[in-house]
This record gives sequence, C-alpha cells and structure tokens, in this order.
Amino acid sequence: MILLEGVRKSYYVGEREIPILRGVDLSIQRGEFVIVSGVSGSGKTTLLNIIGLLDKPTSGDYTFMGKKVDGLSDEELSNLRNAHIGFVFQQFFLLPYLNALENVLLPLIYSKKGIRHPREKAKEILTRFGLKDRLYSRPAQLSGGEQQRVAIARALINDPDVILADEPTGALDSKTGSEIMELFRQLNQEGRTIIVVTHDPKVQAFGKRVLRIEDGYIYEASRP
Amino acid sequence: MGTSMRLRALKETVKEALKVIYYYKLRTAFSLLGVAFGIMAICVIVTTIDGANRKAYEIFETLGPNSITVFSGGEREASTRQRFYTLKREDADAILRVDGVYEVVQGYLIRDALVKYLDKNWQTRIEGVTPNYFESLKWGLSQGTYFTEEDNRQRRNVCVLGHKVYKELIGEGEAQGKVVVVKNSPMMVLGVLEERGGGGASHIDDRIVVPIATATERLRREFTYLTYIRVKTERDVEETMDDIRALLRRNHGLKEGTPDDFTIRSSRDVIEFLSVIKGSLYLFLGTASAIALLVSGFVLSNLFFLSIQQRRRDIGIRRAYGATRKGILSSFLLESVMVTLSGGILGMILSLLSKRVFEDLFDIPMYYSLKVVLLSLLFSFATGLLSGLRPALRAADLQPYEAIRG
Repeated sequence: MILLEGVRKSYYVGEREIPILRGVDLSIQRGEFVIVSGVSGSGKTTLLNIIGLLDKPTSGDYTFMGKKVDGLSDEELSNLRNAHIGFVFQQFFLLPYLNALENVLLPLIYSKKGIRHPREKAKEILTRFGLKDRLYSRPAQLSGGEQQRVAIARALINDPDVILADEPTGALDSKTGSEIMELFRQLNQEGRTIIVVTHDPKVQAFGKRVLRIEDGYIYEASRP
Repeated sequence: MGTSMRLRALKETVKEALKVIYYYKLRTAFSLLGVAFGIMAICVIVTTIDGANRKAYEIFETLGPNSITVFSGGEREASTRQRFYTLKREDADAILRVDGVYEVVQGYLIRDALVKYLDKNWQTRIEGVTPNYFESLKWGLSQGTYFTEEDNRQRRNVCVLGHKVYKELIGEGEAQGKVVVVKNSPMMVLGVLEERGGGGASHIDDRIVVPIATATERLRREFTYLTYIRVKTERDVEETMDDIRALLRRNHGLKEGTPDDFTIRSSRDVIEFLSVIKGSLYLFLGTASAIALLVSGFVLSNLFFLSIQQRRRDIGIRRAYGATRKGILSSFLLESVMVTLSGGILGMILSLLSKRVFEDLFDIPMYYSLKVVLLSLLFSFATGLLSGLRPALRAADLQPYEAIRG
C-alpha cells in the first residue's frame, strides 16, 4: 500500500543543504500497525509528511495505493489525501469555531465518496469514543484527551485506508496517552492500517512493528 | 461530482464561512462598517443624481423648452433667497409686446402662510397667478374648476388647492365649495390640482393657487410688484431673453455697468444649474466614497492577512483533509465577499435611513432604482474580491506541511 524507494529529503537554508532523509526504503502493507520512533529532529515528522502527501521527496520514488506520487497535481494529491488518509496531530488541531460534531464532519466537505447519513455516522463514532454528551461542545470546552478522540473521529469519518498520527500522545498525560493508544490498537484490530510517529518509548510497546529513524536512515527495530 | 453534491459542498462552504465570520466578530465589524459607509455614499450620490435628473426633466416637461422665467431681484439676492421686489405689473405688460412672446404669466408668492380648515392647520405657500397659469403649465384638475379672469378682476376670495394641501386639510371627498382660511381671510375652494410631484422632497403639490389680484391686493396690500413673470416665446429663446433683459434694464433705469436687478432663467438654465449641483456631488461624494471604500478595503485586506497568520493551522488541516489550493482560495474569497456584501447591504439601508438629511441638504429628492441596488452590490462585491484576493492567494499558496507546523 505504501512503498518508498530511495526517498531523500533535504531542506535548504540559503545555499546550504540540510539533509533530513538520506535514502529511505520502506514498505507498509494493509492492516499493519507501525510505530516510527526517533529522537526529535531525526526526520520522523518529515517522513510522515511525505507518506501523508503533505510534502514531496527531494528525490526517490513514492508509490501510494499503487500510484506513483511524483508529478501529481495539487488537486490529485488533495483528492488522494481526502479519500485515503486520516490525520491525527499532537496538538489535536480542531477548528475552534466548530463544535465536536462539526469538526468530525469537516473532511466530508471535500469528500467525493458520498458517505451516507454523515451526521448519524459522526455521532455514532463520537458515542463509541465516550463523547456522547460532548457532541455540541467547542474544542475549548473539551479536555486534551477528549479533543484527541474528536480528532481521531475526524480521521475516521471518511473511511480512510490509513491513519497517520504524529505524536498523538505528546500533549497528553501518560494515562490518557495510553487510552488513546489503546483506541488505535482496537482500530487496528478492526483491520485499519495505522502509522504512529513518536519519541515516547512507552508508546512503542503498542505497535506490531517498530521502526527507528536515525541520522536520516530508517532501521527495522522489531517485526512480528 | 454531481450537481446536488456540488450544491451541498457550496452550502457547507457558505455555512462554514458564516461561522468564521461570526468567530472573528471584531474584524468583521470593522470591515463591514467601512464598506457600509462607502456604499452609503455611493447610494446617496447615485440616487441624488438620478433625482436631480428626474427633477430637471420634470421642470423641462412642465415649463416646456421655450419658457423663460424672470424673477424679482438680481443674481446675488436670488442666491441668498432674499426677496427684493423689482418687477412691476407694467413690466409684464411691456414684455408681452416683445417680439415672439405669446404668453405671459404673472406670479406673486407668499411663503410660509398658515392655512386652516376646520380644526386642521397647514403651513404652505400661496401662489397668486394670472388665470393662464394652469394652461401654461398644462396642469390638470383632479376635481372642480379653475378660477377665471373675472375672479381675478373682482379679486374674489377663491382658490385651487395643490394635491398635498388637499390631502393634509380635507383628506378626501369633494373639495369644491369648502372654505379654508388663509391668513385670516376665508377662501372658497374651486378645485384641486392633479398630483405632479413624485412625493419625497418635492414641493410641487404643496401650494395653494389664487388669483394674483387677490394675493397682492387682498392678502398683502401690494399694488405694484410681482415675484416672477413667466414667458413663452415662439422665437429663439436666447434672443428673446436678450430683448427682455434690454427692455427691463431700460424700464428700470439701470445704467451701463450696474448689475441687473432681476434674474432671467430659461428652462435650459434650470437644467444647467442642476447639472452644476450634480458635478459638485460627483466630486464631493465620489471622493468620499472612493476613500471610504479604499480604506475599508485596505483594513479588510490587512485584517485578513492577520487572520490568515492565526489560521495557518486551520488551512493546514483543511489541506490535509483534502481541500485543494483552489478550495482554500475560494473559501477565503467567499468569506471576504460575504463580509463586504453585507456591508454593502447595510450601506444601502443606512442611505435609506439618512434619506431625509441628504434631501434637505441638497434640496433634491433622492431617487432609488434597481440601478442603485445593483451598483452597490457590484461595488461591495468588487471591494471584497480585490481586498480578499492577495490574502486568499497567500493562504492558498501555503504548503500543507508548512501550514500545519503553524
């Protein structure tokens, strides 16, 4: 489903090249639960951005859902993101002027899938996540754990093929963090592909497969 | 994408924009008010100019292209609205002998006269005229009859009411034979003139017309002077005006170099006068509205830039969840246009509310038409589009990963 071959990524400060990824080969299959670990600044977020089609590799090939990503237009990339990927971020990133339910429905504004009964579906997911009484609350009225669960609900509403989470527990206390990771594990058991980027060693225990990024290279730390 | 889905997407985008507009209330309020004042100024200009055009057209239609009016008092007195009586009845007789002149109406105005009917009072003006006044203005009756040459000769206390006066004092039903009291003199109503003015600030229907001899000799003890003489000519209007001017200067014994003690206007002059007013309106209010719109557009643009800084993450998330560059661009433009359009609508409402003030200020009835509405909407739309474009482009050009980083 996800295939990276010799992917490099550099940023430029003036003339100076700062290599972040120095050649990553990676293949992820449907149904996997992958943890990408590494110290901060190791390039794990950059990798996630490339996998999530938010950023482009400087060189190398990326094939997503059997499609070569190189050379796709902004609109094609946007459509791929919408149809196949659900994002979860460290700081939740809910829109402050929308309530929980509206935040969950956001991806459907751009969706072409024609999800049936979207509001009922969103309520169903939020209810499952224990937010039945918070449907109409604004993000500012929710706790961190609640906000992150709304964000995960948002990631699920459009039936994505893969969920990408960047430090999803980074802004939460360890108990709430574990609850969120437990939620990811359940979703994976239901067959969803999940990729979590983290520097937190405790989180790594949840993954079936753990990768480590170091000095711009990727290593297989454990594989089932 | 099917039409219904496209429609749903549009509905969602509008709903979202409304939420954002509400969330950033202060920014919205500033931009809205700025645009509102600009559009208000535009509305006032356009409606006043249209009003002036209609008034000019009405005057031209009423007086006819071959009409000349001579007023008592020179240019300076005319501009200060002071009354100096310099025209005499014998001037009118002399003018009738000028080559080409085939009709002379004499007029004597009494302003701000109190008229009573039963328990009702009304402040209006009395216009004493020779009986050929009605035919000269082609002014028909809605009921009753005109007064006659005989009424004038006998200085009878009879009158014809303007439509407005009739409405204010009698209201409805037959007016003929009713008696109104004008400046303590009872006057019998002979008829009611048909409505001419389009309402608003128009004074046309707010008058009582009486025989000139009644007005001068009975109401005022005036045996010599007139307020105006209105003339129709079958010759060239300019040439006739020159002849009348020469005649009056001679009769009034004015030496070379002294200014006229009367004012001559053709109906074309009236139109020119109104077009001067229009010119100053364009200049004054046009500048004001251009500045107001520019400033509000500038403020809007900058506030927008600020809000885009605040909303980088917002943009990033939308991008991550599938918003295209075009989608971001159009949603930001939509937001900006919705603010300025509401400002435009508010401006139109403000101009309607301040109608009286401006009508009194310029003494021209404002005329609202579909044109004003369309023009206002167009200008506010353009302001939104232009001031929103740069910030919206900036928002759209943010790379998704940059935007998310905040």
